[in-house]
Amino acid sequence: MSAFIFTVVLGIIVLYLGFSKNKSILSPISAGGLVVSLVLSLKDWGHQSKYFHDMILIDNFSIAFNVSMIIITILIFLFALDYYETMENHVAELYALMIFGLTGTFLMTSFSNLIMLFLGIEILSIPLYILAGGKKYSYRSNEASFKYFIMGSFATAIFLFGIALVYGASATFYLPEIKTFIAQFNGHLPPMLLVGLLFIVIGVAFKIAAAPFHFWSPDVYEGAPTLVTAFMATVVKTAGFAAFYRLLGIGLLPLPVQIEKALWVMTFLTLLIGNLGALRQSNFKRLLAYSAIAHSGFLMLAVLSQHESSASVLLYYTFVYSLATIPLFIIFILAKRASDGLEEILIFRGLYKEKSWIAIFAIINLMSLAGIPPTSGFMAKYQVLFLAINKGILLTSIFAIVMAIIGVYYYFFVIREIFTERGQTTTKMEVTKLNAALIIICSIGVLATGIFMWQIPI
Amino acid sequence: MVFLFYLLSAVMVISGLFVVFSRSPINSVLSLIVCFIAMAGHYILLNSQFLAVVHLIVYTGAIMVLFLFVIMLLNLNRATIPQKTSMTRVAAVVAGGLFFLVMVAATRLTFEIHPRYPFSSKIGLVSEVGKALFHEFLLPFEVSSVLFISAMIGAMIFGKKDKESLPQPPPKEGA
Repeated sequence: MSAFIFTVVLGIIVLYLGFSKNKSILSPISAGGLVVSLVLSLKDWGHQSKYFHDMILIDNFSIAFNVSMIIITILIFLFALDYYETMENHVAELYALMIFGLTGTFLMTSFSNLIMLFLGIEILSIPLYILAGGKKYSYRSNEASFKYFIMGSFATAIFLFGIALVYGASATFYLPEIKTFIAQFNGHLPPMLLVGLLFIVIGVAFKIAAAPFHFWSPDVYEGAPTLVTAFMATVVKTAGFAAFYRLLGIGLLPLPVQIEKALWVMTFLTLLIGNLGALRQSNFKRLLAYSAIAHSGFLMLAVLSQHESSASVLLYYTFVYSLATIPLFIIFILAKRASDGLEEILIFRGLYKEKSWIAIFAIINLMSLAGIPPTSGFMAKYQVLFLAINKGILLTSIFAIVMAIIGVYYYFFVIREIFTERGQTTTKMEVTKLNAALIIICSIGVLATGIFMWQIPI
Repeated sequence: MVFLFYLLSAVMVISGLFVVFSRSPINSVLSLIVCFIAMAGHYILLNSQFLAVVHLIVYTGAIMVLFLFVIMLLNLNRATIPQKTSMTRVAAVVAGGLFFLVMVAATRLTFEIHPRYPFSSKIGLVSEVGKALFHEFLLPFEVSSVLFISAMIGAMIFGKKDKESLPQPPPKEGA
């Protein structure tokens, strides 16, 4: 709880720092403040505590996810120092919005009341709508922001309607009470409760971009400023899955049959659409958007396995996925600058010739996303499939493996571009020391977690 | 009481039909305001004064006035409904009919709803709402301030005119 309060205060402090004309202090102060909230979060490790009439429940699960998201946000903030260098206006506000979004994710990982889940999702979403439109004079950015806002509000409305229906049936917002209420029906749920639960699941599925609620994600990922795209692909996805697991874990497990069926269909579609959609992309950000959808499919498989270690697998998967995604976005920005603002995959052409060390780190991260050993992406996928097969979910597991193999193709499409010779000479790629350090740290993290640390105990 | 209920319901239904059928957007919005006021009357009949007042202030006061402003500023008062092809008409009828069917089926199933707790006539009183808000729901009430501050920052970012980078006017057609 102290970490939550501190982070909110940090956001307000950063907002006030906007009055000073010195932009370069924003990133160190935000990152340093987040280190403090990291320490404050870790102090509660091992204690299970409830706050404010059981509105939130802070346990090891929520602390582990919070710490993972804080680490990722710190990495993004360090990248932001370079990214926002040329931007003149509203830089402090953008930092503050990201910090406020982070506080929303804290609520999403630690709620035990549907009201808090709703508030968490909204506190995360509203800053994201604004951040997606951060480039005020770019039509693409405006389009992304508007699309995300309209579709996100629609999903929120459905979600809220679901909460209202569940409250109407069970007369409570408190998840353990809803669970006991559901248990008394022995699988024959009243329609009102069932529709309510389905609507709640739809609302959360929108946030994690699970098919068939994924349509916003490629457009928004493409139009939003790259830093915000990185934030969406990593922190928001982690938070969404933490909320999803917590909702099912403390609220609904064992799942009502109808909801489970719906979720299986969603998993199947997400794996299919994510991987097949990515095959046809030539824009790198869209490619990563579809790759994010495909990874959502694997994560949903982990959630649906309904095992005690599902939470730890989810944490491992989201963390290493985020760790591999951030350096790719950094490298993408560097390549984009070197090729006059193009966003195609072609901009990676000749990267190996020009800066071979960056090319090698890019390949490591792409391999991790594709799931090739010895990177951690392989271990993450292996654990998900291990969990699913252990539970006797054979067909979907085989389907997921086939889809993962298809996935290798489009990641290697990028790798092929890296090794292809580039005809004409272009402008030199410039790498600041901080960006180089970030790329190296993340990539070594990806390798180290893949080789030495195969799971994160919660 | 029963007479009032039927009166308010009739007003709501008629004004609701006006919202859908009137050609001019201004008339639509005005009928919607009437509909909302009648709904506030329903809330008072159910003894929830707080909800009624909030409904009047937020919906009829703020949101509908905003609607009116938008319509007047965009000069939408002319009935400019684009011509629809027969294909879209058929599609709309089929989609609407299917939705209606699903809704009827759903209501048939859920027709009997047994309340879990007996109705308490005190539940909507201002003091009761205040007690719930500042006791059990204190945290959501306070945390929503983070939500509002982000929304305000967003309004400021989008609304403020920047000095250095003025927007490029879109290229005029035919120029």
